Amino acid sequence: MNSAVMKKTMYFFVLPALLFYCLFWIVPILKLFQYSVTDYNGYVQKFSYVGLDNFTKLFHEEILGLSIRNTLIYTFITVVAGNLIALALAFLLNANIRAKGIYRSAFYIPTLFSAIVVGFIWSYVYMPDDGLIASIMNKIGITGLDTNFLGSYSKALYSIIAVDIWKNIGTSTIIFLAGLQTVPQDLIEAGKIDGAGRWKLVRFIKIPLLATSITINVTLSVINGLKAFDYPFIMTNGGPGTSTNTLIFTIYKMAFTDQQFGKASALGIISFALIIVITSVFVFTLNRREVAA
Amino acid sequence: MSTSGTLAKKSVTHAVIIALVLLNIAPLLIVLSSSLRSPRNMTDPLDWFNELTLASFRSAYTRMHFPTALWNSVVLTVLSVLFVVLLAAMAAYPIARIRSKVSKFLYIFFLSGLVVPGQMVLIPIIQMIKGLGIPMSQYTPILMFITCSLPFSTFLYTGFIRSSVPEEIEEAAHIDGAGLFRRFWQIVFPLILPVTVSVVITQGVWIWNDYFFNMVFITKAADAPLPVAMLGFLGDQQNPAQWNVLFAACILCALPLLVAFLSLQKYFVGGLTVGSVKG
Repeated sequence: MNSAVMKKTMYFFVLPALLFYCLFWIVPILKLFQYSVTDYNGYVQKFSYVGLDNFTKLFHEEILGLSIRNTLIYTFITVVAGNLIALALAFLLNANIRAKGIYRSAFYIPTLFSAIVVGFIWSYVYMPDDGLIASIMNKIGITGLDTNFLGSYSKALYSIIAVDIWKNIGTSTIIFLAGLQTVPQDLIEAGKIDGAGRWKLVRFIKIPLLATSITINVTLSVINGLKAFDYPFIMTNGGPGTSTNTLIFTIYKMAFTDQQFGKASALGIISFALIIVITSVFVFTLNRREVAA
Repeated sequence: MSTSGTLAKKSVTHAVIIALVLLNIAPLLIVLSSSLRSPRNMTDPLDWFNELTLASFRSAYTRMHFPTALWNSVVLTVLSVLFVVLLAAMAAYPIARIRSKVSKFLYIFFLSGLVVPGQMVLIPIIQMIKGLGIPMSQYTPILMFITCSLPFSTFLYTGFIRSSVPEEIEEAAHIDGAGLFRRFWQIVFPLILPVTVSVVITQGVWIWNDYFFNMVFITKAADAPLPVAMLGFLGDQQNPAQWNVLFAACILCALPLLVAFLSLQKYFVGGLTVGSVKG
């Protein structure tokens, strides 16, 4: 491109955004590194440097492994189940039928609700005895099952994961649907002439052509899962016990309830490393496959 | 024979989809039916739509100061989105146009902010805001809404300018003597309208629905936007006697976006997919 038109002075356009971004995002993130080696409590601006004490303490406490485990389970299930369900829905809604638009909207509506409203609604759905699931089970005569979803150590995490999937499925479905609509009809016809059955059409033509949508949806849901905070915060307060403590919820609790901001920052640094590693692995693998496809 | 075959197949598809739709929105239907009961109606929520009254809505409307909360939400969202569009579109322009190490770095630099959750950096953010002498007010969350929206919006704008706004158009304008600013605002900006729609919708929805930054920065009840007004109902979900009013509040809180979605549906669907089909 000729340099008279695309001058370096264009970089002035970045400055306003860069200013906001550095002041309110990058500098605070760098501050975390500083606080992670202090005993700062988050309130009184007086602290001393304690070396790697916070990290050593964290590595000796159960909460670190537990939060990582919960976050990984949360991410794995939302990514796999969420995208598989959305993909299946997209194939279903891509059929040549009437009222497609209405069906699509019906799946999209939950994504418009604030997490706080979603939390309220699903707290009702999961209520023992009087909640939606419990009363439906009563009505159809299934009794004796434990319906205390959010109060159970083994079920609470999976219950809030289901809520997250429910809320986000509409967005992924719409992105998959848009991808499917770009699959050229003549490619499908050519496949049919070559004798490909329905499954082969899906496997060898549609899925590879969906690569971009898959990359976008998987990446967004990986990031969303690793950052999970809303439903532990609104629905379970991390409980029962620590069974729904995700990394970000644990950091928040450490910083604000326990007033151990130094330690919370150290955990923040660990989470940060984890998020960066996992996200880059996904982005690189998916991008490579996309090019190959 | 074959037509009746496809007809049967289509009916099955419809039946399957309708069953899934019902399963998906069942909680919302029960919430809607309960919200249309009087606050004292304690019959089984499954016995749906057994009463139609706005009594619970009236009660929720007053309790959450609906008109004030709605207005606060509108102000916060409109101001934030306006700045996001301006800043992100401007930032994306050189990143998309100049091919150098600096622009490549800026691209990754902005995008990498996407993976950091706000909850983690909240305390240093509050310190920064206080350190800059910015007072805590109704408008403080806007700073964070703008900042947190920049990574994704800049990413969308950059991709679109690279793929869909040919440089030749600008060359012509350059020969006609148009400066950098005029070229950007009069030629490039109108051409990237599809992304602007996408940014307004995707960022507008999360900003409208955000409770976290609002909850942290807004202390006066009169300044609270809708999601924060909902926090006043915290605890009510444990008590079946409060459900009808709580559910009416939930519907009221979601209503503005539902109306916006139903009337601007094609923009919502288009906006979600602009950056995703041809990234």
